[in-house]
Amino acid sequence: MMRLWFDKGTLLLRGEAGTPYGKWDPRVGCYRIKALHYSDVLSYLAESRLPFQDDVSNLPPSQTLKDVVELRPYQNEALGKWRRAGMRGILVLPTAAGKTYIALKATSLLKTQTLIVVPTLDLIDQWRKRVADYLGIEAGAVGGGENNVQMVTVSTYDSAYLQAGVLGNRFMFIVFDEVHHLASPSYMQIAEMYIAPYRMGLTATYERSDQRHALLPALVGDLVYTAKVEELAGKHLSPYTHEKIYVELTPEEQRVYDEQMGVFNGYLRERRIVLKSAEDFHRFIMVTGRDKRAREALLARNRAVKVALNSEAKLALLAKLLEAHRNKKTLIFTLHNDLVYTISRRFLIPAITYQTPKEERREILENFRAGDYRVVVTSQVLDEGVDVPDASVGFMLSGTGSTREYIQRLGRLLRKVEGKQARLVEIVSKETMEVRMSSRRRRKTKEEA
Amino acid sequence: MLPSELLAVWKRKGVIWPRYAKLSDDHLEVAAGLIEVYKSHVGEKKSIIKEFTDEVEEKGYDYRFVRGLSFLLDRRSLFKCNDKINAVNLRRKIYHATAGARLATTPEQRRRIVEAVASELKVTAETVEEFFYADLDTELILEEFEPPSPVELLQEYNLSLTQTLLFDSTEVRFTSSGNWQRLFYSVKKLGLIYEAYQDRGFWVKVDGPASLFKLTRRYGTAIAKLLPVIVSSPEWTVEAKILWKYTNEICNFKMESWKHHALLRKPKALIPSFDSIVEEDFAARFQAVATKWLLRREPEPVLAGKQVIIPDFSLEKEGIRVYVEIVGFWTVEYLLRKIEKLKKVDVDMLVLVNENLACEKLAKLEKHPRLNIIYYRDKIQLAPILHYLEQASCEVKAKQTGFVRDLSVVFTEPVVNYEEFAARIGVSAEAVKAALTEKPPQGYTMMANEAVRKDVLEQIQRRLEEQIAREARLCLSEAVKAIEAEGVKDATTALEVLGYKVVWHGINSEKAEVAKA
Repeated sequence: MMRLWFDKGTLLLRGEAGTPYGKWDPRVGCYRIKALHYSDVLSYLAESRLPFQDDVSNLPPSQTLKDVVELRPYQNEALGKWRRAGMRGILVLPTAAGKTYIALKATSLLKTQTLIVVPTLDLIDQWRKRVADYLGIEAGAVGGGENNVQMVTVSTYDSAYLQAGVLGNRFMFIVFDEVHHLASPSYMQIAEMYIAPYRMGLTATYERSDQRHALLPALVGDLVYTAKVEELAGKHLSPYTHEKIYVELTPEEQRVYDEQMGVFNGYLRERRIVLKSAEDFHRFIMVTGRDKRAREALLARNRAVKVALNSEAKLALLAKLLEAHRNKKTLIFTLHNDLVYTISRRFLIPAITYQTPKEERREILENFRAGDYRVVVTSQVLDEGVDVPDASVGFMLSGTGSTREYIQRLGRLLRKVEGKQARLVEIVSKETMEVRMSSRRRRKTKEEA
Repeated sequence: MLPSELLAVWKRKGVIWPRYAKLSDDHLEVAAGLIEVYKSHVGEKKSIIKEFTDEVEEKGYDYRFVRGLSFLLDRRSLFKCNDKINAVNLRRKIYHATAGARLATTPEQRRRIVEAVASELKVTAETVEEFFYADLDTELILEEFEPPSPVELLQEYNLSLTQTLLFDSTEVRFTSSGNWQRLFYSVKKLGLIYEAYQDRGFWVKVDGPASLFKLTRRYGTAIAKLLPVIVSSPEWTVEAKILWKYTNEICNFKMESWKHHALLRKPKALIPSFDSIVEEDFAARFQAVATKWLLRREPEPVLAGKQVIIPDFSLEKEGIRVYVEIVGFWTVEYLLRKIEKLKKVDVDMLVLVNENLACEKLAKLEKHPRLNIIYYRDKIQLAPILHYLEQASCEVKAKQTGFVRDLSVVFTEPVVNYEEFAARIGVSAEAVKAALTEKPPQGYTMMANEAVRKDVLEQIQRRLEEQIAREARLCLSEAVKAIEAEGVKDATTALEVLGYKVVWHGINSEKAEVAKA
């Protein structure tokens, strides 16, 4: 009789017949099959009436889930489309639209061993809390020093990737939170090395600038549902305004900026280098390893950008804005950690960066949630998913040109609270390349709308 | 292993290699300089050390090289937070002071809050400022530093650099002069798959399960971890395929011990050593007793179909080779698998099994002619092993004797030396002697170590007789000279065969004479 089993993130089939999904592996003398094709292989063998022994899965013990998730109409619609697509597929919903609840509902319907893959350690904690609240069981966790597999388990992308060889046969349902991450060359192997036949991808920002999102349907299922911020704002999300305030660099800052940018542009002109895309820029950075002058040019550019991003004029304006919004819950976003700490020291307000100890970060967020701390300054860590319930004002002091970041930061402010009017203010230095970065990120969102 | 942005390589025509730090004066100078920076800044902030290392970088060295060295020095450093005041507690107090609608947007408001917190903690306002973020990475204090020598640092850098390059490898193949048990153990533990083959030496190709479907860097990290094990042998060659992510091309990488050994740091823990006291004890006692057998530790693995057998020892004597494996904890299934493997390959194996460590009751094992299991209790008994070897050599000798006999060689040369002839056809000298004694070749006389053509012996006899006729006596040394001149090595036996005896006058062989018996 043929035997099918799991081997370090792949399936092995020993026996007289092969399958259309497998490939003969001379190293071990068996057919080897991507774990992704587990259910295909099962139905192929069943249809062909080939007797076989299935030793693939190694599921953690089942637990009874309670089902108390109530979905909003658009969430129900999304879930329905996913079910009709064979319990596979990608759902695109704005931040704060309650993606989590759809996944929890799906888990309680499937009642099967489930892995939830998330980008950050913060999100592990957040999902575990939701699982406890809405499914009534304690979720396991893999990542951040924990390695505890339960019927419902939450893992980071990193750990799910690194441990695919031992985790790949332990779940039947896999949820990819922020599924756009999955398209990277290494993370996409998670989808290939896990047997789970049921799959759900969630994101607010499906498209990637490198176009790799085109790979996702083969891994997770088709894009089955899309809802935009504009469709939900007002009814399900808070209404919001967005404005941009320009500040002038101080004369000294402007002088340094012009001088340093001059070095950079001078070098580009001399070498006839044109930097149009992120890829161009990356190639340029590669050159700086070999060419000392290229490196000097790059460092000059970085200094100029830093001056523009960290301008004193911005901080002065920020002080005024903080005064003006004295009673509002406020988030301040920056690109660099340096600026986070400058602001934190200057205004004596809590800061969160990747360096903040986990316990302190939890404490700050809790106090912020409770309304004790009213202002938090942060770099990138809060961009994705971290649940900050009802901030209503956001100040963006610097950011990259990324549309995704813009949507995510906006999402931080949009969770629906009665009577809330969200306000996002961008503070941009005039006469610098920052102006261009700012319009780049917004242009994209408008096109989509 | 370094952060990937510090990977410095050369790449040309599909070949890639790391920019190794040469153990030359200028590189050693940079290394020594950086070590000095760390040494002289124990007790200071990390940010200050960084300022100094940045300066070295600005002197025109590849920044990746300088940062790579700093990275390795950081790993030899213990940075600690100045915890005279707990920074997290301090911040909590400050945040509470600015909580709610209270703000510190003017310098005046800010000063008041800082002072209030300072007086609450009974410290100065300056101390509050100093410790506000004392736990940030850049603010940490260098407490201890374990300085390497500049050469060590460069060797460590080169090894790390190579490992970092291997992160992007899709497969690696290597050969090594030893260390096989540890290598195969590591390959297995790292979740890799190997293919072993002979290609002017024993080679192992390593990649992972999913490598079958597409090129993947997934196993690069595991492959990189193998490198220190490979290069801890005296001789090795490593070849890898690198998937260069920036251009998406496959590049070849190769390094060899004769070229790169001195550049790399050899991990201390990997100096070959006996795996167990039992093995060491066995080797020592065996070598003391069975002096004719050559005992080799960790011999080259044996290919058994797709699998390999990695014996603990090989015992060799005159073309006979027996592999020995000492088994600790074991099961019957384990021994059965061993037998399965041995069926595929033409070698003899001796498995020494500790009866006390049996995981199950001894069952009757199918007897396999090539696998001999010897049980022991506390200490390996040599007697049964020697007995087995004796038998094995008898059997082999009998087989070889038969083989030589069946060969029915027709000799023509004046002298046939058993040992030389045995080596030529790959059997033992004893087997040759036995076969030829059984059926002496036409026209030859058999002696102890050689067969001599009869006309050669006659020629010798004529010479000796001439001497005796001329000088009325024949001294031994002259006789030996005359015999050896004809290519016969064993003069004493030749004299005996020709019917002479040696007459000794004292113990000085110069005075000995040869006479008719």
